[in-house]
Amino acid sequence: MPEIKITRSIDLKTAGPFVALIALFILGAFVNDAFLSSGNLSNILARSSFIGIVAIGATFVITAGGIDLSVGSMAAFISGCMILIMNSLMDKIESLPVLILIAIFASALIGAAAGCINGLLTTKAKIEAFIVTLGTMGIYRSLITYMADGGTLSLNFTVGDVYSEVYYGTLLGVPYPVWVFLCVAIIGYVLLNKTVFGRHCFAIGSNEKVALYSAIHVDRVKTMTYILQGICVSIATIIYVPRLGSASGQTGVLWELEAIAAVIIGGTMLKGGYGRIWGTVVGALILTLIGNILNLTDMISNYLNGAVQGIIVIAAVYLQRGAWRKRAPT
Amino acid sequence: MPDTPPHRTLFTAKSLTKSFGEVRVLSNIDLQVNQGEVLALLGENGAGKSTLVKLIGGYETVSGGLLHLANEAGELRPLNSDTWKHATAEAQGVILIHQELNLAEQLNAVENIFLGNEIRRGPFLDKHRMLELTREYLSILDCDIDPLVPVAQLSVSVKQMIEIAKAYAKNSRLLILDEPTAVLTAKESEALFQLIDRLTEQGVAIVYISHKLDEIERIADRVVVLRDGELVGDYDAKTLTKDDMARLMVGRELTNLFPVATPPNATSEVVLELKKGAVPGLISNASFQLRAGEILGFAGLVGSGRTALMEAIIGLHQFSKSSELLIRGKSVSFSSLAAARDAGIAYLTKDRKGSGLLLGMSLPINFSLFSLHKFSNGLINTKKEQEAFSEAVDTFEIRLKDLSISAGNLSGGNQQKLLLAKVMAAEPSIIIVDEPTRGIDIGTKSQIYHFIANLAEKGHSIIMVSSDMMEVIGLSHRVAVMCRGQLVGILEGEQKQEHEIMRYAAGLESQLTQEGEKASA
Amino acid sequence: MNFHLGRLKLLTPSILAAVFGLSIIASASAQTIGVSIPAATHGWAGGLNFHAEETKKRLEAANPGMKIVLLTANSASEQANDLEDLVAIHQIDALVVLPFESAPLTGPVRNVKRRGIFVTVVDRGLSEEGIEDVYVAGNNAELGQVSAKYIKERLSSGGNIVILRGIPTVIDEQRFDAFIEEIEGSNVIVLDDKHANWNRDDGFTVMQDFLARFPKIDAVWAQDDDIAIGVIQAVRQARRQDELFIVGGGGMKDIVKRVMDGDKLTPVDVLYPPSMIATAMELTALKFLSNAPINGDYILGSPLITQDNAEDYYFPESPF
Repeated sequence: MPEIKITRSIDLKTAGPFVALIALFILGAFVNDAFLSSGNLSNILARSSFIGIVAIGATFVITAGGIDLSVGSMAAFISGCMILIMNSLMDKIESLPVLILIAIFASALIGAAAGCINGLLTTKAKIEAFIVTLGTMGIYRSLITYMADGGTLSLNFTVGDVYSEVYYGTLLGVPYPVWVFLCVAIIGYVLLNKTVFGRHCFAIGSNEKVALYSAIHVDRVKTMTYILQGICVSIATIIYVPRLGSASGQTGVLWELEAIAAVIIGGTMLKGGYGRIWGTVVGALILTLIGNILNLTDMISNYLNGAVQGIIVIAAVYLQRGAWRKRAPT
Repeated sequence: MPDTPPHRTLFTAKSLTKSFGEVRVLSNIDLQVNQGEVLALLGENGAGKSTLVKLIGGYETVSGGLLHLANEAGELRPLNSDTWKHATAEAQGVILIHQELNLAEQLNAVENIFLGNEIRRGPFLDKHRMLELTREYLSILDCDIDPLVPVAQLSVSVKQMIEIAKAYAKNSRLLILDEPTAVLTAKESEALFQLIDRLTEQGVAIVYISHKLDEIERIADRVVVLRDGELVGDYDAKTLTKDDMARLMVGRELTNLFPVATPPNATSEVVLELKKGAVPGLISNASFQLRAGEILGFAGLVGSGRTALMEAIIGLHQFSKSSELLIRGKSVSFSSLAAARDAGIAYLTKDRKGSGLLLGMSLPINFSLFSLHKFSNGLINTKKEQEAFSEAVDTFEIRLKDLSISAGNLSGGNQQKLLLAKVMAAEPSIIIVDEPTRGIDIGTKSQIYHFIANLAEKGHSIIMVSSDMMEVIGLSHRVAVMCRGQLVGILEGEQKQEHEIMRYAAGLESQLTQEGEKASA
Repeated sequence: MNFHLGRLKLLTPSILAAVFGLSIIASASAQTIGVSIPAATHGWAGGLNFHAEETKKRLEAANPGMKIVLLTANSASEQANDLEDLVAIHQIDALVVLPFESAPLTGPVRNVKRRGIFVTVVDRGLSEEGIEDVYVAGNNAELGQVSAKYIKERLSSGGNIVILRGIPTVIDEQRFDAFIEEIEGSNVIVLDDKHANWNRDDGFTVMQDFLARFPKIDAVWAQDDDIAIGVIQAVRQARRQDELFIVGGGGMKDIVKRVMDGDKLTPVDVLYPPSMIATAMELTALKFLSNAPINGDYILGSPLITQDNAEDYYFPESPF
């Protein structure tokens, strides 16, 4: 019986990001003993969870041949909304957990709606995703700056104290954000690889016309990917807000590029048609690791941080594309 | 009469051959074109007409044979087939106007007509002179437009006229027109014919391709007939009637390549009926019935609206309000392909690579894509999917050593079988196949004919759109013929003859008028 | 009115009197003052915008006929365009400009000056001397110096510190160099310095890593109050708030409040007031309202904000 096998080149893509991740771990351990301390490792995981969760959403969008540049501003905007909602309902709702749940629910709703807008503008209004999301990126960024009066929105301290448990609390010694990240990754993996919806994302990203002629609701599936992306942004926001309890025009700046970088490092194809959730998770970890390792050493001039990041990102993708294997004799 | 005597040889081809890879599309063509004459090229779709004119025009390189072109003094000189590119050809006055228009959309008529051939005064463009000449050319063609608007804003027929003016501006000696009137109105066509008369008087030779036999009767001096890449005849146009032309184009015995599927009888259920099918801009009038166990062929020229009609049936285009589509007697209107699929209708696209298969994906993924819901109850059951794929590999005789390759690495024949397997996985009762054997070898063709006949025997209903006359006649129980967005006739029994089909396809014959009279009576 | 008085304490008393006294006298003269500043992209700039808007409202209300055109820019080139618009469209009589960057805006400001327009430059000096009539600025070097002095005194018996710097720019450089110069020769050891880009999230992340890397940190110089907010959260998360203290910079209301409340983690702050734009605008307006000599440099101090004087620097209405 013939086996369902994916072609060889894709196997290389599986290995590449992990090789890069392991290399970075070895480098980190070499640079500083503190790197492998449980405190530092849990910091890295918790930190990667924002970009990681956003990037899992982006994996769907990119696999289905789209792109979403608005995620960073959307995160800032949703953070702002959550803070305003909690601050204004403070006097009306006594139970703080209920208040926080309302904000979380609102966040998911706004995220899904924002994603839906991106999706419908792309599929129904037939505007390129790049332009649509570039536009919404500017809109959300302005809105948060306007909401904060150019300054910073701060969460009321009483609510903040209760809510901060969501970021700083742990279960079995592991911070909550890491659990959330893990759950989102598992759900994302199942959705992308085990369901009809995921298969349809692959098909649409490979060739939209073939997808259409294969009785796939192309517009519906594409819009769904943007909604998923919006929900992922909102989940990231729900664990981001309790960290510092504030949102400003600077919140989430360049998250979109970091998320896209994580997705691509992980082996998802930027032109669509192939996506890997675990690759994306590894990609997000790699990006966080680079920053962490640079902070743990003073060997490299601060001014060169960007260069080091650039080199590592390119190297990771180089490994992932498997170009290095072609040179080796087989 | 012009100074140069007519009928002096301008161009010849000797033993001209063209192959794409291993497929030979033209073999041993001998052709002569004389000054001041109109040579019509006749042949079915795929007979090799377009390829032949592309060789002459320098758009394709010759695989074998010799080309000669007369120089200024009228002496025939051999052409170097390696350097015979369209730019060289145009410089020598050999100009081909393609079926597909080739204008720079954002430039205006003047700029297009003189593109690459601009008139200069010193280092500057002489815009005034070019505009003057453009007006003159357009007036010869009776084409009353503002030559300064971007051509993107003009209609297709006007664009075609600009193409012709562009060729005229280049002082051609041999002008090749590949179906120029396909997009022109009758009035515009007449203006073109007058221009052709004028050109031939000046000694220009015209090679003219058209499926419209009345046009050929109107302008051709000589008729050359191509069939399956071979030249089968060279006739004086005066000696041929339109019916002769239709017969000559076909002139072939049907072999027993085709299995015989038992035709449905009168009591067989009508599974699909279309009444007054119309799609704005694509289809103006199409009505037919399809019975259980029937194979209904759809013939017609390229662009006659067959694919558009099928795509409308499966929900990719919307029928106009006056149309009615009935499935097993129930009026339906599909909003999506998925809805049509769920009603038991599947469409097998003619564009295998562009809209049929995900070339970079594995075979099982391609196989299950159309019917994925059947393999899923929340999560995809890969075991079930795998088993169904293995079964389909046997059923459709997809013979491969390595089943782990991606669909793009399959041969055309295996791709077509995979596509058939993909569509059949949804277990449709009505299957629409569009050009099911295009570009595949004769052996696989035969297999596919047997699959189709088998399906019909089992009670499935099949619509087969095809430009291959042999298979349309050989496999179908009845043949519907389309012409310019209309279903002009359904032929069966004795009528199911190739020249008859061709007469309908070319618009010489139609059953519509009678029905129209009946309806009004 | 207390609000204004508090802010204007930074000026010499005589100027204060002149500004305060004259700005409320209605003047018949019709003057247009153009104000060009960076957009509110971070906390300090947000404060800057807030004070510019407030001052515009106040000056226009107090002086009928005076018109103030306020433009914000997102980049140096946008600001150069704004300057051209102010001259050509709004026909300004005076310009108050806080240059996005010094070098690229020196030329455009010089062009404005050549038209005979009165020019006040704020905070970031131009690359060429003698263009502006009035220069109002905070003292970046002093900010670094004051911070270093405090830390040096607190850790006179020795200690380890880490530094979180801003975005790599001249401002960051001046603050950092002055700090290092002051701290040198003391018992204080600088473990490392990293850029946290005047941003809370980066402050949090960089501090987390410092905490993981260095088991003993006695003080943190965060240089900026936004960074300090991130640092506070990271320190709390690591539960090391009892072993160190943080010195921020700027005078953000949240931090000043903590100082005022006697928070041990942030015992002091160092002022670098975004309200300097108000000083500059008032001075420029004064040019048209009085014959008092205005021209010259006004360098605002960067005093240490302690629990004793914090109330004077606490403006709850400001976004910063």
